[in-house]
Amino acid sequence: MEMSVQNITLNQEEVIEEFSHFSDWEDKYEYLIDLGKALPEFDPKYKTEFHLVKGCQSRVWLHAEVSDGRLYLSADSDTVITKGIIALLIRVLHGQKLSDIYNADLYFIEKIGLKAHLSPTRANGLASMISHIKSYAKHSPPKEDSGETPDAQQQAMIDAIKEVYDPEIPVDIWELGLIYSLTIDAQGNVNVTMTLTSPACPVAESLPMEVQEKLLALPFVKDVELSLVWDPAWSKDRMTDVARMALDMF
Amino acid sequence: MIDKTIQTSPGWIDLESIRNEFPILSRQVNGQPMIYLDNAASSQKPNRVLAAMEQYYTHSHANVHRGVHTLSQEATELFENSRKKIARYIGAPSEREVIFTKGTTESINLIAYTFGYSQLSEGDEIILSEMEHHSNIVPWQIVCKNKGASIRVIPIRDDGTLDIEWLSNNISDKTKLVSVAHVSNTLGTINPVKDIIRIAHGHQVPVMLDGAQAAPHMAINVKELDADFYAFSSHKMYGPTGMGILYGKASWLDLLPPWHGGGEMIKEVTWKETTFNSLPFKFEAGTPDIAGAIGLAAACDFLDQLDVSDIAAHEHTLLAACTKGMVSLPGLRPIGTAPEKAGVFSFVIEGLHPYDIGTILDQQGVEVRTGHHCTQPLMDRFAIPGTVRASFAAYNTLEEVEKLISATQKAIKILS
Repeated sequence: MEMSVQNITLNQEEVIEEFSHFSDWEDKYEYLIDLGKALPEFDPKYKTEFHLVKGCQSRVWLHAEVSDGRLYLSADSDTVITKGIIALLIRVLHGQKLSDIYNADLYFIEKIGLKAHLSPTRANGLASMISHIKSYAKHSPPKEDSGETPDAQQQAMIDAIKEVYDPEIPVDIWELGLIYSLTIDAQGNVNVTMTLTSPACPVAESLPMEVQEKLLALPFVKDVELSLVWDPAWSKDRMTDVARMALDMF
Repeated sequence: MIDKTIQTSPGWIDLESIRNEFPILSRQVNGQPMIYLDNAASSQKPNRVLAAMEQYYTHSHANVHRGVHTLSQEATELFENSRKKIARYIGAPSEREVIFTKGTTESINLIAYTFGYSQLSEGDEIILSEMEHHSNIVPWQIVCKNKGASIRVIPIRDDGTLDIEWLSNNISDKTKLVSVAHVSNTLGTINPVKDIIRIAHGHQVPVMLDGAQAAPHMAINVKELDADFYAFSSHKMYGPTGMGILYGKASWLDLLPPWHGGGEMIKEVTWKETTFNSLPFKFEAGTPDIAGAIGLAAACDFLDQLDVSDIAAHEHTLLAACTKGMVSLPGLRPIGTAPEKAGVFSFVIEGLHPYDIGTILDQQGVEVRTGHHCTQPLMDRFAIPGTVRASFAAYNTLEEVEKLISATQKAIKILS
């Protein structure tokens, strides 16, 4: 454990040392922007509302995974400067022990003169990103605690959703393609993004509630956060072949 | 520091003496001379505004309209004289029609609630425009939802001008109020409010104007405009924050119910019944921002002395130079190119995020606003996440505009 704290501190010192070579802001920002550009590509499947860290001016997406008590991070932003700072944060924290991340004092940001980017008025999502990472590190239970494997959980959630039908169409809403994203974290918090066939759909209020109830009935689900979205709009192209067949036959 | 030769037009305004009145302008940001171009968000304050407020607090402070003692009478006189001065400044027929509020937002909320709850019924319509600030959208959404009324929106054209014909064609018996910005905070468009009022009054529909961006940049005459309600903020026109004005025609304000209850706004209170004070006090519950009112009156003096039409001419020169220099930069697209504009230049640059541009400008001491400027529906209209906005005031110089252009050029170089 001591080793790992050392690592976060060492990582920070390394960054500070690197930045100490810049005599003017231009070089510093150019380097930061290069770091942002060099950040590994963020898996588009995580570019969802669930992974979005709220910021008013720029957006940050964060994905965290726990393995053997260590936290592995990937992130993205729509602004290059924010992305550069994310690259630094990932460099300092990626693969560190959960408890070390939670206890880490991230002093390097101030030392390299970028503290202003964490102020709430910047509204760039960075400050929230750090608190997300810390809270993730604090609340993540060791992996062996979760009874079922993530794959089994995912399948169980899909099966539950398949019990929900749009009353006007004899096809379940999973086959219809109304579910845009479905994720569960290590604590059992489920995040669903879904749409309806049309904003004028008369069951607009009952379908999402039904989905929520079905998911909450699963033993490993603690909480369900559901967002109803209209963008992208649903179209027939989103239906699975099963749904198409069912409708053609109908 | 300011070379006389860079004055925009000899005789209009004396930049050097104006700048001397604003101590903040000589500070540095990130080791660079500060260039303050976020005036549409809030302007800086001249010494005379600060001095008037300090003089009040150090010599005459007491609660107003309360005591027989000398201080209270002095404070009341200063406060009410401020109201008179502000009434004169905006051409209000009577100071009874000038209500002190916290700012434009509160002024609009006051009308949304009092007008909304007393005059709107199910099926009625309020007409706003596509370029409104959230503070001229959200209060109406709240009250319309409650009353079963709906909001209709005057569309804008690609250059950021309002489609006034739409208003002529769509105003109807259902329309109960039109509320639009006099000047757009994001685009700078000066709207043809006289035409809007003429069309609306032709249908016996009252008009509220959000004058937050107009008051610092042009002479306002509510009587000449024939506006029914006019709202503006002190802090955007060289006055203190937390202070604003609602002008309303007495005929309307007398008709509308009170909003906030409390002291000052009552005539007589018993457990059985309370009768309300007359205008303007009916809408001013509680101890008002006395120093704020005095500060705003001093700001009106400042604008009067400089002559706001000279300020407008100066800002127009800055805007023209800014537009000319900026549009020649690679990938830069101005947002809002109406022929009639106040001193606002909003832009986006192909492939660059406004946040990044604003950050690099700040590193060079150039203070601009980035983001959606509280006009998200307008951003949706142009399909952009936000803009970078430079906005000018009386104290800005052509030299500063040139610095904005070169700093933006540098930002493009660094970020591309």
